[in-house]
Amino acid sequence: MIELENVNYRYPASQQPALADITLQIKAGEFVAVVGANGAGKSTLLYALAGFVPHFYGGDFDGRLRVLGHDVAADGPASVVGQVGLVFQDPFNQISGARFTVREEIAFGLENLNVARAQMDERIDRALALAGLEGLGDRSPFALSGGQQQRLALASIVVMEPELLVLDEPTSQLDPVGTRQVFEALDRLTGERGTTIVIAEHKLEWVAAFADRVVVLDDGRIVEDAPPDQALVADETTRPGLGQTRYTRAGRLARQRGLIPADRPLPVTLSQAIEYFS
Amino acid sequence: MPDQVSLYAPGNSGLHHLHPLTKLSLAGFALLAGLTLPGRWGTYLLVALFVLPLAAWGGLAGRLGNAVWRIVLPFAVSVFVIQGLFWTGGTPVLQLGPLSVKAEGISFAIASTGRILTVVTAFLLLILSTRPDALMIALTERGLPPTITYIVLATIQIVPRFQARAQTIMDAQQSRGLRLEGSLIQRGRALIPLVVPLVLGSIVDVEQRAMALEARGFSRPGPKTSYLQLVDSQWQSILRAALIVLSVLAVVGRLALLIIP
Repeated sequence: MIELENVNYRYPASQQPALADITLQIKAGEFVAVVGANGAGKSTLLYALAGFVPHFYGGDFDGRLRVLGHDVAADGPASVVGQVGLVFQDPFNQISGARFTVREEIAFGLENLNVARAQMDERIDRALALAGLEGLGDRSPFALSGGQQQRLALASIVVMEPELLVLDEPTSQLDPVGTRQVFEALDRLTGERGTTIVIAEHKLEWVAAFADRVVVLDDGRIVEDAPPDQALVADETTRPGLGQTRYTRAGRLARQRGLIPADRPLPVTLSQAIEYFS
Repeated sequence: MPDQVSLYAPGNSGLHHLHPLTKLSLAGFALLAGLTLPGRWGTYLLVALFVLPLAAWGGLAGRLGNAVWRIVLPFAVSVFVIQGLFWTGGTPVLQLGPLSVKAEGISFAIASTGRILTVVTAFLLLILSTRPDALMIALTERGLPPTITYIVLATIQIVPRFQARAQTIMDAQQSRGLRLEGSLIQRGRALIPLVVPLVLGSIVDVEQRAMALEARGFSRPGPKTSYLQLVDSQWQSILRAALIVLSVLAVVGRLALLIIP
């Protein structure tokens, strides 16, 4: 599905590489989280998967990058449009501005892909339900709250039924309920449609609960690529800026105070925490 | 804050349900007839017998009247004052101190105001009764590039957002002590911390917006479909053709009047 081999990338006019010697394979249907401090290269990696780096920004790119069999670094996003969906962090800039209701906004991508009108309503209804936006279809996209706009951005991409869904902090403006809805929706996409998910996210509790794998980036390099219960238990002193889940923090504190044996693996999810403390 | 700068007034009337190109043809015909009708009063008759009944059919007569006088009245006042009082030569009908009102100037002002009234009422009625996206989709189906359609429609909705952001920046800078009063130089200086973040923020927005559009296949070559379905009919096609013929005849007739003494 996705193969990166020794990928290096530097933005124009920048001395530091944004991606350094990235080698990564992602299989179809995997749910992969990309985590790391701000400026670690998460967005750049995601933009590369969707074909925007280097196509859109320019800069120096080398290495091998293939997504769904396409050389997206050479061919750009147009080569995978409809197959790869990209959801950005800022919902406002993802609203096309050229459609007057939420339903029409979601249909925008389908119109561009020349999907028959007869198929649109059913697909839009599914996308609205998946994003938890039922009942808001006739509103203006600009009349929605920030969180609703963020879910609209997700629905507008999901409706195109991409094989690979790339999301750059899609829950940054969502409350805990909205965040849960988005992660559950993504989980359903992998389970029901086999959609491959690659998500950059700072909310590690949710990453730990839903991701199959966690790729940790630091200064453009992959420093860890492992399941959540291995990747997310690192000490904050060795991974500055990454943070840890509240369960890991509580477990580590209990371990330091001698309340829990040191050989017991630290928890990263709620269910692991219950087991850890019982 | 309004969601858009469009004047569209939603409704369920027969006028609202006409195909956008039919309404555009009606407005175009009124425009050309208004500009070519000879005499002073023909345009007023055109508004009374053609535009106003259409507005009443659409339930938009009140809104139309409200919008029209705001546009036409300032023009009418200025044209009557300037043409009435400063017409070169002519027949004086009223003496106002050193100035005199000329009959020819008044006659010209009546004719000019009638033409402006026709153009404004016809196009306001089109805008009030037609969703902007429906009109642009109809034009795209007739060959208008989708990029132009996008620019027009996005502008309608994004301008209010731009205004809101400008207001936010102004509030933020004022809360940090920026003074917007004072001499012209002080006010000019105060513009810099307002304009720079607005422009830089917009440039960043444009980059992201372009990427988001690309990700949704906006620049994908080939045919596109439309979610918004426009209802057309044979009688509307015939009406549009008839309006085009009448418009051409109006222009040709006017030219003939000019050429033939």
